[in-house]
Amino acid sequence: MTKDVMMPQESMHTVQSYEQELEQLRSLINKMGGMVERQVAQAITAVVEHDEVAALDAPEMDPHVDELERQTEALVIRLLALRAPMAGDLREVVAALKMSGDLERIGDCAASIARRAMRNELLSCPISLTGLHSMGRLVQENLRRTIDAMDQRDPELARIVWQSDTAVDELYVSLFRELVTYMMEDPRNIGPCTHLLFIAKNLERIGDHATNISERVYYSVTGNILPIIRPRGGTFD
Amino acid sequence: MNTLTMDNRPAPAQSSVPAIAIRNLDFWYGENHALRGISLDFPTRQVTGMIGPSGCGKSTLLRILNRMYDLYPGQRAMGEVLFDGRNILSPGIDVNVLRSRIGMVFQKPTPFPMSIYDNIAFGVRLHERLSRADMDQRVENVLRRVALWGEVKDRLNASAAALSGGQQQRLCIARTIATRPEIILLDEPTSALDPISTARIEELLDELKQEFSIAIVTHNLQQAARCADRVAFFYMGELVEVDTADKMFTAPHEKRTQDYITGRFG
Repeated sequence: MTKDVMMPQESMHTVQSYEQELEQLRSLINKMGGMVERQVAQAITAVVEHDEVAALDAPEMDPHVDELERQTEALVIRLLALRAPMAGDLREVVAALKMSGDLERIGDCAASIARRAMRNELLSCPISLTGLHSMGRLVQENLRRTIDAMDQRDPELARIVWQSDTAVDELYVSLFRELVTYMMEDPRNIGPCTHLLFIAKNLERIGDHATNISERVYYSVTGNILPIIRPRGGTFD
Repeated sequence: MNTLTMDNRPAPAQSSVPAIAIRNLDFWYGENHALRGISLDFPTRQVTGMIGPSGCGKSTLLRILNRMYDLYPGQRAMGEVLFDGRNILSPGIDVNVLRSRIGMVFQKPTPFPMSIYDNIAFGVRLHERLSRADMDQRVENVLRRVALWGEVKDRLNASAAALSGGQQQRLCIARTIATRPEIILLDEPTSALDPISTARIEELLDELKQEFSIAIVTHNLQQAARCADRVAFFYMGELVEVDTADKMFTAPHEKRTQDYITGRFG
C-alpha cells in the first residue's frame, strides 16, 4: 500500500458560517466519541470488577449518545442541502454521518455488556475472567486510538488501528473455544458462559465498528479507500 | 489503491486521438502573460469543463481555440494547439473554416437581429449551397436537436429577439451545430438563465456529446460536476489540475483545487 499524502485543511472557508457548521459537526462527533469511549470503559469495569455503579452508568448514557447521533444526522442533511459540500468537505460530511452510526452502535454494545454484568450467574461464576479482561483492554485501546485518529484527522494512525483489529478477532476466537470447553465440562457453566460469550461477541463488534470508523477517517482525510477485505485474525475452522 | 467511483454514467467513447491537443501554450494580452505553459487534451466526444476564479485564463483559452483573439491587436499566442493534425495558431490556417469547425456559444444569448429561421440559415449559407428544401430540412433538424422545434415551428419567420433567454440560448446552440462543427465551445452558457432553462441546456449537452466534442467554461461548480466528463482547474494563468469530474469533486489531488472548489479561496 502506498503511503498517502495528507491534504492539509488549514485554510478557512470564505463563508464563515459554513466553517462554523463544519466545526459544529466535528465537535458533535468528538463529543460522541468521548461519550462512547467512557461507556465502553464503564461496561468493561462493570463486568471485570463487578462494579454496580458502572453497570448502571453505561446504559444510562445511551439516550445521550442517540441524541447526539440525531443531531449529527440533522446537521449533515442541512449541510448537504444548503452548502453542497465538495471534495474534502464532502468526504468529511459523509464520513461524519457514517461514523455517528458506528459510534451509536458501539454505545449499544457497551450498554448491552453492562446490562449483563450484574447477573447472578456471572457474580457467582467460578470461571476466570482473565481472557475477557485482556480482550476488553485491547478493544478499549483500539477504540481510544480510533477516536484519537478521528479527532486529529490522522490517516496513518487510522490505518494502524484498522490493521490491529486482527488481535481482537484472535482473542475472541480463543475465548470462544475456552468458554465452549467449560460448557462441555460442566452443564452448570452453560448459564454464565453464555453471558460471557455474548459479552465477548459485543466486544468483538465494538472492535469492528472501530475499524469502520478508521476506514472513514482514512477516506475522509486522504480521499482513498482502504481495501474492502480487512486482515482478520483467528478462524473457527 | 482503490479509488471511489461514484460515476455510474457509461464510460464515454474513448478515442486515442484527442479532438484538440494543446501543447505548451502561452498567451499574452499586450504585456499581460495570461496563460503559462498550458498542455491539455480535449478528448473526442467528451465534455471538458474548465473552472477557476475570474481572470484565471479559462475564457482566454476558449477564445484561443477558435482564434478569436485575432480580432484584437496586441494579443498573441505561442505554442501548439493541434486540431485535425494542424497547429491552429499557425498563420496559414483559414480562420473562417476553423470557426465553422469549432463553434462557440457565449454567456449572453446572441441571436442575430433576424428571423429564427435565418439565424440558423445565415451561417450555413456562408459555407454551403443548399436548396431551399435542404435548408428547411437542416433548420428543422437542428431545432429538433436542441428541443426548440415544438416551440417555434409555427413562427420561424418571427424575430429571434422575441424568444425567451433560454430559448435564445438554445437557438444559438442550434445555430452553432447547423454548420456541423466537430467541436463546440461554450463560455458560461447558462449563467444568465433560470434553473429550468439551465437544466434543458445541460440535458442538451449530454445529448450533443454523442456527436461533438465539447468544452465548457463555467463558474457553476455543480454544473461542471453534472455535465463534464473531465474537469480542468485554472488558477492565475496556469493549469493546476485536470482529472475526471468524479475525482476532481470528491478527491482532487492539488490543495489549490481543493481550496477553490470547497470555497476556501480568500
